[in-house]
Amino acid sequence: MRILAVDDDLIILELLTQFVQAVGDHELVTAESGSEALDLLRAEAKGTFDCFMLDIQMPNMDGIELTRRIRMMSRYAETPVLMLTAMADKRYIDGAFAAGATDYVTKPFEVAELKARLGLVAGMIEGRRARTRKIFAASAVGAQSGSATIELHEPISIHDVDNVIEYVAMENYVQQLTRSSLFGSSTFAFTMREIEQYHAAMSPFEFYSLISDMAEIISDTLQGHQFLMSYAGSGTFVCITESGWRPDMGRLVDAVNLSLARTELYNNAGERLHPRVSGGDVVRLIWKSGAAVMDALATAHATAEAASAAHGKSQTDYWNMGQIA
Amino acid sequence: MKDMVDELPGLAKVRTRFLEMLVDRQALIAEHALSAWEGETLDDINGNLEAAKAILHQIAGTAGSLGFTDLGVAARACEGEVIAHLEGPDADLAICPGEIIYHMDLFVKQCEETLNTLT
Repeated sequence: MRILAVDDDLIILELLTQFVQAVGDHELVTAESGSEALDLLRAEAKGTFDCFMLDIQMPNMDGIELTRRIRMMSRYAETPVLMLTAMADKRYIDGAFAAGATDYVTKPFEVAELKARLGLVAGMIEGRRARTRKIFAASAVGAQSGSATIELHEPISIHDVDNVIEYVAMENYVQQLTRSSLFGSSTFAFTMREIEQYHAAMSPFEFYSLISDMAEIISDTLQGHQFLMSYAGSGTFVCITESGWRPDMGRLVDAVNLSLARTELYNNAGERLHPRVSGGDVVRLIWKSGAAVMDALATAHATAEAASAAHGKSQTDYWNMGQIA
Repeated sequence: MKDMVDELPGLAKVRTRFLEMLVDRQALIAEHALSAWEGETLDDINGNLEAAKAILHQIAGTAGSLGFTDLGVAARACEGEVIAHLEGPDADLAICPGEIIYHMDLFVKQCEETLNTLT
């Protein structure tokens, strides 16, 4: 991997240089400030960095702002950003994830932890490359074959929507919450009803656009609250909120669906779409740790999908009422 | 905490550099602490505390990885104290709490001891 590390502390950059040399097949480029990093990135003809390691607290431009600016460059919209920070303060961590960070490591770091985190990043990059290869392969076969290049269950990266982060970043975020012993958070999810039909009927681009529009509408509905959200695949958006706010899912689902009803969404054929969502249980993360937090996320996800399925079933059953087999 | 020096032999050079920088850093912390203590305006006091905090933050971020765990922990504690003041209810008053200066003084002494032991 080619990695760009940005930190105003020369000792950290020297440490990382030694570390990267030791763990093997990586090339490390360093910058001492956000502006130096941006100059470096702008000077490149094409994106050549596979990963960023950014300090959060730097003078003039901090790592959160730098992450935001890096994410605005289309070629780096999905490149893993690993925050290296001495700050275990949740505000900074939340800010970093909301700006587009993929993961973070707390300083002073240890070889084993850094190695593990870089291993995850390398796995992520390989996964993306495989997906890209698959997409190109599908395109080569020909659009007429109707090959879907986005699987229904696949988490999709959504860009430029407030507080929406990648699913892998969401998982990392939840694990960091555990490590930092931070409580007061809840998780809940929305699932788009009839997602299978939308997926089957739409081109990958249409489907991506629909998911992206849905994310924007849900994000707008949640404005005013502190939250992070991610698209987990199969029409489900998983959210995490904090500050003790425990949403009333009935009202929230109504608010999202009202907003959807007021928004004009169309497919490529110009037909109006009427997507709606169902909501699952709100699961509190307080006092949970380790695998239990991941289970909570899974519960939020599963209950939203179950609610969507139940809604679909109730629509079908309505017409079957009174019929005798 | 396991430090990296044992695991990565190349870090001996970084450790030496850290100690060289620690000489200047501890002097700067002492200077900012004194200026904050003697400062009369809010900007003067908080500005010097901010500057000291930034140096403490850097020491806290690396000392542990280079085998100076105690120094890193002490730097983190001092940094936390400064943050608590700068974000606390007295942040808009032109006062510099004596406790912060006392702990910074102890930290500077700890830096000196570390340097004396190793040089």
